[in-house]
Amino acid sequence: MKAAWIIAKREILSFFLSPLAYVVLTAWTLWQGATYAIFCYYVAGSPVGSGVENDPLAMLFGQTTLFYIPLLVFVPLITMRLLAEETRQGTLETLLTAPVTSVQVVMGKYLAALVFWLSLWVPTLMYVWLTSRFGDLDAGRLLASYLGILGVGAYYMSLGLLMSALARAPMSAAILTFLALASLFALGIVQFLPVSEAALEVVRYVSVWQHMQNFSSGVVDSRYLVYDLSLSVFGLFGAVQVLEARRTHP
Amino acid sequence: MIEVEHLSKYYGERLAVSDLHFQVQAGEIIGFLGPNGAGKSTTLRMIAGFLPPSAGRIRIDGIDILEHPAEAKRRIGYMPEAVPLYPEMRVREYLRFRAELKGVPRSKIASRIEESLHMAGAAEVANRIIGQLSKGTRQRVGLADALVADPPVLILDEPTAGLDPNQIREVRRVIRSLYGKKTVILSTHILPEVEASSTRILIIHRGRLVCEGPPDRIRSMALRPAFLLLSRASHSQILSALEGLPGLPKVHARGEREGELCRYEIEFEESKHSPEELGELIFKHIAKAGLSLSELRIRTSLEDVFSALTTSEPVEEGGKSPLPPSQA
Repeated sequence: MKAAWIIAKREILSFFLSPLAYVVLTAWTLWQGATYAIFCYYVAGSPVGSGVENDPLAMLFGQTTLFYIPLLVFVPLITMRLLAEETRQGTLETLLTAPVTSVQVVMGKYLAALVFWLSLWVPTLMYVWLTSRFGDLDAGRLLASYLGILGVGAYYMSLGLLMSALARAPMSAAILTFLALASLFALGIVQFLPVSEAALEVVRYVSVWQHMQNFSSGVVDSRYLVYDLSLSVFGLFGAVQVLEARRTHP
Repeated sequence: MIEVEHLSKYYGERLAVSDLHFQVQAGEIIGFLGPNGAGKSTTLRMIAGFLPPSAGRIRIDGIDILEHPAEAKRRIGYMPEAVPLYPEMRVREYLRFRAELKGVPRSKIASRIEESLHMAGAAEVANRIIGQLSKGTRQRVGLADALVADPPVLILDEPTAGLDPNQIREVRRVIRSLYGKKTVILSTHILPEVEASSTRILIIHRGRLVCEGPPDRIRSMALRPAFLLLSRASHSQILSALEGLPGLPKVHARGEREGELCRYEIEFEESKHSPEELGELIFKHIAKAGLSLSELRIRTSLEDVFSALTTSEPVEEGGKSPLPPSQA
C-alpha cells in the first residue's frame, strides 16, 4: 500500500502542476456556480416547502440532468492521463521496473483519481454554506448526496482508469471514457421507454440518473452502493489485466 | 550475479531473441554489442523485469525475476534506451519519487539523491524542471535514477546514445568508476564504446550470441587485418611477391575471375602494424615485383556484424578508424 501511496502522490503532484487541472477545475466550478444560482432563483420563486424541489442543493446533486451531462465531459478529462500518459511518454517502463506490482500501480493511480474527483466537489461546500446561511439545510439529505457522489465517483474513476490503461494516448483514453460513461448514462433513458417491468428494474439499477435522484433526495439505497463497488472492482481488475498484457506486447 | 539461461523472446511470430545463454560475475562490466534491431533492448528489458521472456530463465543474485519480481528488481538499477522521465517534475523531486518507490529508507533518501546526482554529474541541474533539460542532461538524470537506490546491478541501455563527445567521455568515466563496485550491463551499437568501458563484450546479432570475450580479443578479431586484392597476376606470383611481409600472410584465391583479373583475399595473423601500414606494405611489395594491381582494400573479418557497428560514430581514446587506403 505504501508503494501505491507514493505513486498516487506523484500523480496528484503532476496533475496539479498541469494547466489542465486548473482549466478543468475553473470550468467545472463556473458551471456548478451557474447551475446553483439557477436553482436558487427557481426555489425562490416556488411555493414554500421542504421537498427536494425546494432544496437547491438536492437539485444541484442529481435532481436534474445538469448534474450528469457535464460529468460526461469532465470525468474523461481528469482520468485520461492516469496510465495513458505513462504509456505515451514511456515512463511505464521505469515505473514497472521499480520493485512495484501492477496492482500497486493501479491502486496508486486510482487513489489519485479519487482525489481528483473529490477536488471537483470541494467547491460545492461553498454552496452548502450559502444554503445554510440563507435557507434551510437538510443535513441527512446532504450527507446522502455526498455519499452518492462518492459511490458514483468510485466507479467513474475506475472506468476512466481502465480506459486510460487501454489507450496509448490520453486523448484516446478520454474518448473511450466518454463513450463508456455516455453509454451507461444513455441506459437511463430506457426507463422512459415502454419496456417490461423486469427490464425497467435492471435499467434503474445501472442508471446513474436513478442512483443520484435517490441519494440527492436523501434515500440511501444500499443496492446502488453494491453496484458502485462491483463496477469499481471490475474496472480496477481490468486495468491490472491490461497493464500485465501491455508488458507482454509493448 | 546475473544468470541468463536459454532466453528467447517472440514478438508474435518474430523471434527477437534466440536461446541466449550467459553469466555475469559480480563486479564485471559487460558490453552488449550489436547492430540496431539485434535484440539488445529486448534482452535488457527482460533482464530488468519489464518484458516476460517467451522461454528461459533469468536470475539476479540467485533470485528468479519471474518468481520473485519485486525482490529481483530491488537489486537492479535500470536505464531504458529512451530515458523516459516526467517532464513536469524537477530533477530532485523525480529522484525522491524514484528513491521512495525503490524502497530506500527515509533517513537515507536525501543523501542517496545527492550522491547519485553527484555520480551521474547532474548535481548542477538538481532544481531544474526535467522538461527543459537537453538530451544529454536527461541521460544523466536517467543514470542518477538507476544509481539512486544503490543497487548491486546496473542495466544501461545505450547510455551514451545522442550525447556529444564530451558527454560521452563523462558517462564512460562514470561507468568505469563503477568497476568492481557494481555489476553492469550496458548496450551499444558502437564498438569503441564498449571497448572503452567494458571488461567483457558480448556480441549479439539477430537475437543470437555471435561471440564473447574481453575487449582486446574482440578487437583483434574484429580488426584482424585482411585485404581484398584485384590483380592480373597468378596466385603463385602474388604469394612470392608478398613473401617477407610481417605477420605471415595467407593468400586465398577466391576464384572469381573478372575478365583478366582475379580476386585474392589476403589474411594476416596478429600483426604489430596498423591496417593502413599493412596496406602500404602490400602495395609496395606488389609494385616491386612488377605485378599489376587494380584494386586493394581492407576487409575486417567480422565484417558482416561490424559493418553496422564501426561506421560514422565518433572514435576516440585510442580507437582506430579502419579507413580503407586509397591506393590503386
